[in-house]
Order: sequence, then C-alpha cells, then structure tokens
Amino acid sequence: MEKALKRWFPLFVLPTLVAFIIGFIWPFIQGVYLSFCQFTTIDRTTFVGVQNYVNAFQDAEFGSAFRFTVSFAVVSTILINVLAFLLALALTQKMRGTNIFRTVFFMPNLIGGIVLGYIWQILINAVLSNLGQPLLALNSKAGYWGIIILMCWQQIGYMMIIYISGLQNVPGDLIEAASIDGATPLQTLFKIKLPMVMPSITICLFLTITNSFKLFDQNLALTAGEPAHATEMLALNIYNTFYFRAGPQWKGIGQAKAVIFFVLVVAIALIQLRATRSKEVQQ
Amino acid sequence: MKKKNGIGLLGTIFFSVLAALYMYPIVMVVLNSLKVETAISTSGAFELPTGETFAGLTNFVSAISSQGFLKSLFYSVFITVTSVGLILLCCSMCAWYINRVHNLISKLMYLLCAFSMVVPFQMVMFTLSNTADKLDIFGLRFNNPYTICFIYLGFGAGLAVFMFSGFMKSIPLEIEEAAMIDGCSPLQIYFKIVLPILKPTMISVGVLEAMWVWNDYLLPTLVLDIKKYRTIPMLIQYFRGSYGKVEMGPMMACIVMTVLPIVIIYIAGQKHIIKGVLDGSVKG
Amino acid sequence: MASVTLKNIRKVYPNNEKKKKSKKGEPVKKTNLKVTKEGVLAVDDFNLEIADKEFIVLVGPSGCGKSTLLRMVAGLEEISGGDLFINDVHMNNVAPKDRDIAMVFQSYALYPHMTVYDNMAFPLKLQKMDKAQIDKLVREAAETLDITQYLERKPKALSGGQRQRVAIGRAIVRNPKVLLMDEPLSNLDAKLRNQMRAEIIKLRKRIDTTFIYVTHDQTEAMTLGDRIVIMKDGVVQQVGTPQELFDHPINLFVAGFIGMPRMNVFDAELIKDGGKYAVKMGKVVVDLDEEKQARLAAKRVEPQSITLGVRPEHLTLESTGGPMLHGTVDVYEMMGSEIHYHVTVEGKDVIIIVPTIGMKDVVPMGSDIPFTFGGNVVHIFEKEKGTNLEF
Repeated sequence: MEKALKRWFPLFVLPTLVAFIIGFIWPFIQGVYLSFCQFTTIDRTTFVGVQNYVNAFQDAEFGSAFRFTVSFAVVSTILINVLAFLLALALTQKMRGTNIFRTVFFMPNLIGGIVLGYIWQILINAVLSNLGQPLLALNSKAGYWGIIILMCWQQIGYMMIIYISGLQNVPGDLIEAASIDGATPLQTLFKIKLPMVMPSITICLFLTITNSFKLFDQNLALTAGEPAHATEMLALNIYNTFYFRAGPQWKGIGQAKAVIFFVLVVAIALIQLRATRSKEVQQ
Repeated sequence: MKKKNGIGLLGTIFFSVLAALYMYPIVMVVLNSLKVETAISTSGAFELPTGETFAGLTNFVSAISSQGFLKSLFYSVFITVTSVGLILLCCSMCAWYINRVHNLISKLMYLLCAFSMVVPFQMVMFTLSNTADKLDIFGLRFNNPYTICFIYLGFGAGLAVFMFSGFMKSIPLEIEEAAMIDGCSPLQIYFKIVLPILKPTMISVGVLEAMWVWNDYLLPTLVLDIKKYRTIPMLIQYFRGSYGKVEMGPMMACIVMTVLPIVIIYIAGQKHIIKGVLDGSVKG
Repeated sequence: MASVTLKNIRKVYPNNEKKKKSKKGEPVKKTNLKVTKEGVLAVDDFNLEIADKEFIVLVGPSGCGKSTLLRMVAGLEEISGGDLFINDVHMNNVAPKDRDIAMVFQSYALYPHMTVYDNMAFPLKLQKMDKAQIDKLVREAAETLDITQYLERKPKALSGGQRQRVAIGRAIVRNPKVLLMDEPLSNLDAKLRNQMRAEIIKLRKRIDTTFIYVTHDQTEAMTLGDRIVIMKDGVVQQVGTPQELFDHPINLFVAGFIGMPRMNVFDAELIKDGGKYAVKMGKVVVDLDEEKQARLAAKRVEPQSITLGVRPEHLTLESTGGPMLHGTVDVYEMMGSEIHYHVTVEGKDVIIIVPTIGMKDVVPMGSDIPFTFGGNVVHIFEKEKGTNLEF
C-alpha cells in the first residue's frame, strides 16, 4: 500500500504543500527574519539585531495593550465559562424548549467579528447616549466592558454546546448511583458532574483564552482602540504598528511585536496542552 | 426516566425571556434597517419604526444598488465556496497520504500543520500579504478574489489536515487493503472508499473552514485591493471607516443581508454545524 | 485453482520501524523473535508447497508471523527475502490486484458506505465486467451464502455473522485463484463460530480454489485444514495433516498447541531394558509399543531423562495390574459424555478425561485417584529442547 501510494505524492500532497509553503511556512520564516531588520518593504532590509525587540518592549502602547489584553482575557474567560456552564446545566434539565434555547444561544457565534462589533457599537452607543455617558470613542471603560459583553454574547453559546456534550456524556448510572448513595443534587454536581466534564472544561478554557488573546476583528470594529489606544489589544496594536505609524523603524518593531505575540500564544497553548494531558492521565 | 424537576415551566419562561434578550441586538438592527435615514440616530436605536419613520425596503434597495452589496456577496460566496472546496479536497488527500506513507515529509508536514494552528495571524500578516502581492508564478498573481483561495488553502491547511488526520486514524486500514486486493489503484481507493467514509468529517471541517473564510476580515483586506474587491466584512468595515457621512440605513441593510442568510443556513443545517464545531473543539 | 510456492520467505522489520500493531490493538509481543543486524525477523526461512485446491491452515499463537506471511502472499507486506510463486509465476513484485487473490479479513473490512450488493459487486466493477454478468455472479454468491435477502442493506445493519458472510461473498464472487482468510471467525461468538466453521467446510466443497487460512484456534485448524502449518516466533514448527500433527507432534510446542485440553506432561526416564525401550515414572514402568520401539531404535536413542507427554483422553483409570500413578482430584467437570478430572500429581496439574459410559463412580474432589496409560499413546520429548525423540 505504502509503496503503491508513494508515487502519487505530486497529486496527493503537492498542492497542499505548495499552498502551505506560500501561505504559511515562507511568510513565517520571513517574519522571524524580518523581526531582526529595519525595513519598509521586504526588498530593502537592514539587519539591526535585537533592536526591534528592545524598541517593542519600550513601546508604552505595546505595554498597555498587553495589560489590557491580559485583563480582558482573564475576565472574559471566567465570565464566559461560568455562564456557559450554568447555561449548559440548565439546558440539560427536563424542560420544554431546550433545543430552541440552545439554537438561539449558539447563533451569535456564526456571525463574523466585524459585523458583531458593528452591531454592538450601535447598541452600546445607544445605551450610553440614553444614560448621558460619553460614547464608546471617548469612553475607555465602556469600551473594555463592551468588548467583554460582546465576547460573552458571541462565545457563551459555543462553550455551552461543548459543556452540554460533556454533560451528556456523563453516564446516567453514575448519577443514579450517586443519588442512591445519598448525594444531594449539589453534591452530585460538584463531586460527580464537574470532575466528569473536566475534559470539556480544559477545552473551553483553552479556546476562550486563545480566542481572547488573538482577538482582533471585534476589537477593531467595536472601538478600534479608541480613545487614544486605551482599548487597543495586542493584535490590533501590532496591526496599527505595521500600517499606521510613520517612521521607517515601525515595520520592524511591528514584526518583533508579532514574534513576541506568537511566543506568548504558543506558551499559553503549551501550558494548556500540558494541563489537558495531565487530566487525561487521571481518567 | 421522566423526572419532574422544579425547573419545568418556570424555566421555560425564564429562558424564553433570556433568549429573546439574546436575540435583541439582531432584531434591533433589523428594525433600524427599516427606518428612514433621518430617523436613525445614536440614541434612538431602540425606537421601533413608526408609520412616519418606516422606510420599507428602500435601504435594502440602496445598499444593493449603490453600495455594491451584490458584488461583495459574490466575492464572499465565491471565495468561501472555492476555498472550502479546495481545502476539503486537497487537505483530505494530503492527510490520507501522510497517514499512510510513513516518511520524513509526512511527519514534518503533520507537525507543521499542528504548529500552524497556534500561530496567530499577526505573525505572518505582513509577510503573507507581501508574498501575495509580489509572488508571480507564470503570470499567476495571488492578489485577486480568484487566486486568494489558494492562500486560504495554505493558511487553512493546518486545521484541515490535522482534523482529517485525526479521523483518518479511525478508518480501519483493512478496508483500504481490501479495496487494494479488490483491484483499486491508490487513486480509486481514495475516491471510492476513503472519501465516502470521510463524508461526516468533510462536513465538519467544511463548516469550520467556511465559518472562518466567510467571516475573515484581515486576510482579504491585506491581500486584495480594497478599491477593486470587497468581501462582505470588508465592505462593512470600509464604509464605516470612510470619511464623510456614513449612510446608516443602507449599512444596517447590509448587515441584515449578511446575518440573515447565516441564520437561515444555520437553522437548516444546525445539526451539522454544531457537530462540526464540536469536532473542531475536540481536535483543536 | 492454483498452486502456491513459498521459497525461503523471510520478513524483516527494520529496527527503527515499529512493528505494526496486531489486530486487537495490543502491540505484538516480539520478545522471542530473532533479532538480526537488519532488524526483527518476523518470518524466517518459510518453505511450503501448496497444491492446487489445497486448504492450508497457518496456526500459531499471536505474534508468530502467520498473519504477516498471509499478508505477504496477498501483497500487502513486502517480502524481505525469498520467492513467492502462484502457479509458478514469480509474484514478489506483483501488485495485490494483479495476483488474482481474494482475502477475507478478521474485521471483515466491508465498505461501510456501500450496500451488501455493491460490496460484492465492487471487485467485479473494477474489472470492468458488464452489468448483467456482475448481477448474475453477485446473486449466485449471495444464494450460496444465504444472504440474498440482505443485498440492499448496508453493513451497519447486519449482524456479525451476516457481515462475515458478506465478506466471504465479496471474496468468492470474483473466483480468485487463491482465497486468503485472516482469522475470519475470531470476531464471532462461540456458537456462530461453530456454525460458520461448518459453512466454510461446505463452501470449500462448492468452490474449487486454493485456501490459505490463518487462525490461532487449534479447533479451526484441525477441522478445516488439509494440512496445517504450525508456527512459533516466525519459524515453522511442523507441517502435516491434522492427524499427523495430533499423533506425532514434532516437539512439545506442537504437542501443547494441538489437542484440547492440552497434552499432559510429566518428568520421566527413558530406559532400555534388554533392548526394549520403556518409560519409567517413579515405580511405574510402561513398555513402549512396537512402532515406537522401532523408531527409537532406528535413531539409536540413548536412555535419558525425558519429558513425557500423554493426552488427557489417553490417561485411564483402568488398572493394568501393575503399580499406578497417583494424584489428588482438585475439581472435576461433568461434561455429559465424559468427565474431566483436574488432578494434582507431585505439584503438577494433570487432566484426565474419562468417558462416562461404563464408568463406575465419580472420584470425589480431594480424594486420591490412581491412573495409568498405555505404551502406544505416549510422546517422548527430549528434556532440554523439547524435540520428539522418535523423529
């Protein structure tokens, strides 16, 4: 089989491989290299060593974007997962209409970030103006909570679906056994259901954390970082560094920031992966 | 097994209200899209259209005629369908090959695909758009809505190959061996046996990739010439960001026309979409 | 419809490449496989001439190389060394589809997305046979296997036994030169397995082709095979008809593998008294019969310590007049026509099978049981290597 298939390499692998090289591998390698260069176009580069990294770390906006992103990621991850889990618990009970509710709660997840951002901008601005508060473009606090509400709205349904499938995989006998053993519903929840859906929890945590860190479209559409970069997250900060800052050094710094960002995301992914693995061993 | 839980009727009522609230942002946009331009204001977004402010479908007509919505729709549909089609076909073939032929390229390809899934787009943003702009293979450029699909194939390959590989492992090798003895060439094994068996996974991967491509804003913005080609997310962002007075009515209509098809497709194919998302989350 | 010749066939898995996992998912134990410079030797120097229309059974414990050998005949594994001929045509480098063979897999390997009919028609379609002919052949095969009423179903909707029939149907519909079967019955429950075994015997009468059948089950091997090949650790132990293997196992391994329950073994002495060979266990001395005398004499076997093998059904409680062996009954199992005594003799477990016809009393558990055996039923094995001293 292996032998017969080997000859078909050009047909089976080459299209994907070429596209993968053009679309990912080459830009990635180039990206790493360029982070050590000063350049405005890729054809004209000057090697500057780690200068870009030094500048990136000294960039106050980058620092504030980092703090904003972390704070956003922590709050949104907790909120989304707690709410999604509660929703999943409720919607796995015997109740009329659970399927419709699931459908409804999941739906925002399908709408793109740009559109979502725009819809919520209209909504939040309407609320703010009715309350006599400054609008989003001038109101960093509203911007922060706006993105969180928006992300909750979009992601709760998604995580809820994962939790529901986790909860449905808890064997019914186990719940029955627990109730015969005298466990109260609350004890069943914490001692049986919660440990059994641990894999779902790790998956959801992973997804929400990485989604939060990589967030771009929603950030751009809702606040575009206004006012004065106060609600700018890492991805948007990198984007702005590349395309909206004057001066020959900024593209290089942007690329250096991108590498830092990449390392950060990979580190989070690895930590998360290790956590998942250790959970798997336990089961 | 029928348990009477206290949550019964009360729960239904509570969640009905919650679901209605959940849907409100979309309903609000729909309502506003029906208002005349002058009646759309920041603070008045909550007001229902009344006889006076009701605009009928004029906003939709103007979105289609003056804002180039149909053109954007075409680009979005074309790019999504072609890219997803390419991804499904090429990546499943690739995944099959690297799962069946054990050599260095296969191993490397698999690891790189898994790796590419965690790399944020910003990492390759500048270089990728530059490559797409500059690369010229026998006159073939990658900065138009037709060839951008190839870029999507490259950038979407990671998830697709990874997911296909995962499911490929659950196909018993014996089935393919049986086909081989029955007289299939590798190409026939793939198209007559593997592909049909892979169909559920195809749908899942297709759903995930379609959601990504359809909603993607940054990649087409960087790669395509925004003055010539706009996908739907680009169109919406473009008009918002443009200077001067934004015509709110047609914008709202654009959003409605973008969201409603998604909602309809979602309701029609809910089962597949949710399964796709679940499959993706487990593998991701 | 074809003879198969295997000459010095070897299979070597290079060290860096992990051996494929066995069917059930657990890695093959390769502790006893020979390891050479090139890698692990899964099959070593396999020689066999399979006659046209012969039914050959390859049998051995898991990991003995029997499946690997079958897969080499099928063309699914590369042959590391030696030559494979089908009808005197050299096949080593011929693609599986061009070998004109069919194979029934342990997991049946039915195509899940096709109906039973399409599953069976698939190999014929690939041969570009015309539709009417395909239809005729598929229906014939379905008739033979009694699955006509399931033709429109998908494999998922069939029971294990039915799937098995479909798998066989797919294999016979193309009338292959050689029909390969890889543990086809091992996924069935005991009752179905017996039934299918009988079916295969019947099938064999109807279709004239060469069979190579792999199993780890000695009953299947005994009942199905014209000849049986017993393998262990990649090496052939013995080739012969079921009766030959049962009556004259070449070594302890074969002796233990063939026959159910297993052959009992005792420590004993081979003695030569006045030119006559006898075996001695404690006080019990049993003279060997003429045949064995002659064979041992021809090989000039010296008196020595031996391992003595006696099958459970050959032990008897009938007194011969002389001294008897003694054991304690642990348990007995009443099987109806016979009774199985599990007996401890000097710390060793021994099974004695006694027919219930003409039996006086059951010996109760825990009590002493005297038994003995005749000089015609013993097997004499060399103490260290376990080889049969007669051959």
